[in-house]
Amino acid sequence: MIEWITDPLAFGATTRALIEIAILGTVGGAVGCWVVLYRVSYSAESLAHGLFPGLVGAALLGLPLLLGGAAGIVLAAALIALVSRFATDTDTAIAVVITSLFGLGVLMALSPASPPGISELLFGDLLGTSQQDILVSAAVTIPVLAALWILHSRLLAIGFDENSGSAIGISPGLMTGLVLGLVAVTILVGVQALGNLLVAAILVGPAAAARLLTDRFRSMMILSVSFALLAGVAGIYLSFHARIAAGAAVVGCLVTIYLLAAVTSALRERSPMRTRTSS
Amino acid sequence: MFEAFSLPFFQKGLIEILILAIPAGLIGSWVVLRSLAFFSHAIGTASFPGLVLADGIGFSPALGAFGAAGFFAGLTALLGRSRRASNDSVTALVLVGCLAFGVILASDVFGSTASVDTLLFGSLLSIGTSDILLAAAAAVLAVATTVLLGHRWLARGFDETAASRVGAGAAWLDAVLLLTVAVTVTASLNAVGALLVTVLIVVPAATVRLFAQRITTQLVASVLLVAVLGSFGLWLSYQTDAPPGATIAVVSGITFGLALGVRSLGRRGGRIAAATALVLGAGVIAGCGGSGSNGDQLKVVATTTQVGDFVEQIGGDRVEVTTILQPNTDPHDYEPRPSDVKAVADADLVFRSGGHLDEWANDIVADSGSGAEVVDLSSGLPVQLEGEEEHEHAHEEEAAHSSESEAGHSHEGEAKPAEEEGHEHGDEVDPHWWHDPVNVIAATKEIDTALSEASPDNASYFSERTASFDKEARELDRQIAACVKQVPASERKIVTDHDAFGYFTNRYEIESVGTVIPALTTQAEPSAGDLADLEQTIKEENVKAIFPESSVSPALAEAVAEDTGASTSYTLYADTLGPEGSNGETWMSMMKANTDSLMLGMTGGQTDCFGTVG
Repeated sequence: MIEWITDPLAFGATTRALIEIAILGTVGGAVGCWVVLYRVSYSAESLAHGLFPGLVGAALLGLPLLLGGAAGIVLAAALIALVSRFATDTDTAIAVVITSLFGLGVLMALSPASPPGISELLFGDLLGTSQQDILVSAAVTIPVLAALWILHSRLLAIGFDENSGSAIGISPGLMTGLVLGLVAVTILVGVQALGNLLVAAILVGPAAAARLLTDRFRSMMILSVSFALLAGVAGIYLSFHARIAAGAAVVGCLVTIYLLAAVTSALRERSPMRTRTSS
Repeated sequence: MFEAFSLPFFQKGLIEILILAIPAGLIGSWVVLRSLAFFSHAIGTASFPGLVLADGIGFSPALGAFGAAGFFAGLTALLGRSRRASNDSVTALVLVGCLAFGVILASDVFGSTASVDTLLFGSLLSIGTSDILLAAAAAVLAVATTVLLGHRWLARGFDETAASRVGAGAAWLDAVLLLTVAVTVTASLNAVGALLVTVLIVVPAATVRLFAQRITTQLVASVLLVAVLGSFGLWLSYQTDAPPGATIAVVSGITFGLALGVRSLGRRGGRIAAATALVLGAGVIAGCGGSGSNGDQLKVVATTTQVGDFVEQIGGDRVEVTTILQPNTDPHDYEPRPSDVKAVADADLVFRSGGHLDEWANDIVADSGSGAEVVDLSSGLPVQLEGEEEHEHAHEEEAAHSSESEAGHSHEGEAKPAEEEGHEHGDEVDPHWWHDPVNVIAATKEIDTALSEASPDNASYFSERTASFDKEARELDRQIAACVKQVPASERKIVTDHDAFGYFTNRYEIESVGTVIPALTTQAEPSAGDLADLEQTIKEENVKAIFPESSVSPALAEAVAEDTGASTSYTLYADTLGPEGSNGETWMSMMKANTDSLMLGMTGGQTDCFGTVG
């Protein structure tokens, strides 16, 4: 039994993947709560595609790829915030902005000067995490968590009720932009090491599961981060012992946790008398 | 300027986009009115596991995609019924769940091949009759549901409680809408690919929504706008030689931006927008120059860079070779450009490398309406290794090219439907045959035969060049063999990124201890357990070097190297040659560069053979 736990730790790649997923689980679980509250799941899933023209542009100009990716994703987030003021809803705005940007990226990538395999920057490899990746993730995670801490009450005011926020002088548009910005930074870090698939899953999954189980925001955040960590570690052990692709195993655990939460919540809804009277 | 319209492949693409305009415009309007944009984006991406299943078991990819899309729609509708769960987070989760399931299927169950990736990237340039039929079916369904259920969808969209009072509140209405969206998305996959499906469905409808007051206007105008943007984008892509899906995306995005300008700035904005559109349009038309070519030379298309090099070596200045794949690109990521399809349509001869590397070639030949003869070089090779499995079963019959004349050039491009072709590669031959000079010599003989048949006047010219190439290749083979022998047999052990060097290691008695990527699609990824085993093997066998490939991301190989102390400094050319000016420009130089890299890797940087690396 103990060997079952210690065996994977004997391998560098597995250990680094565990550390990386722990860092990303913490920040993803926390930012994810705001993603769910502000209903920007689509952005979380799509922003990584918005990176693409930035990456290609940076490669063509000879700039560091990370810089280009950052520029691309910030541009995408700003455009989404802008267009959603005019379009009927945010989803439509995202679809318009992201597909246009992705198309642009594909056209730019046709240039012979673009380096080989650039599209693979969208598909990370959890097991390919290097020590440098871990350091970058940790360095970016700290300011994101700090921003969440400082902005907490303002984000909460708008998230639950837009009108009350405007009444005390906070602009809902600005706050949505801020949430998108934090999501963008999280994706920028995660997408290199973990790829599109996993970043979206860890941003939405744990928080959505936590939302099903509690109404109080504080417990939702604690639950969300715990779910993210649990799924990350369980996924890597599963990948080691059952030999399933690593990223997909983590996503599988996240989805399983969500399904369990959905069943629990459905059972509770079915017997409303007890829960209602007790509260 | 309008020559494009006379080309068969262009006409098919145009018909496809005009038919697709009907379901895309109608359903797109409902998607925008009911805020289902995320759902329609997700459903396209979520078809991935369906495609993997279809590829692995062997049924129609459209069926696989639709099955996955239907499953996705059902699951989303089911989970979305809970009052606490917001619709978009459910959609996101089910989406990543489907993708993850697809990755597991591709990596651990089937060991999928590249055709899975190709299916996610549709193209208006390779539209077959079945695609058009699928689009027509989607059009019929969209018109029928809109006429029958449109008013109820509308009522439900604006006010759910009021809707339930007039009897439009049933959940099945939503289910029908989601299902119709799924059908429309599946039909569009072939045209623009998974990531750009929303280009046709959401963007035009959203543009119209900025102005339309009445639902009839919205529906009709959306259909018209999809048709206009689609045909203009397709034409523009032909003129600028860019992939059509991406071109339509950019054109639609610009149109939306201009429409937004017109609406928010009023009349003044309208003038600015009109001026911008004029300038852009003029610039685009000015930017397209025609390119002429002389008619004397034999027109030949080669699919991969190696084959292009062989044909150039044999054909010399008597043939005009167009190579479809570019150096250093991963052939698994290929998407055709108009010039590629046009070259195939005009070609006298098409040379394929064979196997899954260029499976799309037959589709392009069939759909471009080309009468070119397709020569599959992999069909008559003396050394054939089995794919995926160990390399023990080599059927070596050196110097036996007896079957070459019958097997060499059958008209397979036109005769077989593409679907059948794609699914026979369960336990196929390893397609990286050119890493063994013996095979290359046989392949150049076949090229010689085919070229001489097509152009008998130049037959002696071709066979002279073949003979001298032959001599050089034999010399190279001898040099490599002699050089590799310098390393003791027990130390000739390597680990590569994916299984591309079976022929090289078989020929020169090098042991390939393992590979980093489990399957042949770039969407596959290894499990932690497999990687741990690989690290163990590397340590036990004392492997000194892991060789990343020039066209694949090195992250995984580097991670393994970091733990085992093996080096990753020497890159190999696996699937393509290098770009012009690199040390892998031609097949000859590529073989030398690979040999040097392998030697330096195995000897810890001590010995090389040709001095081409570093």
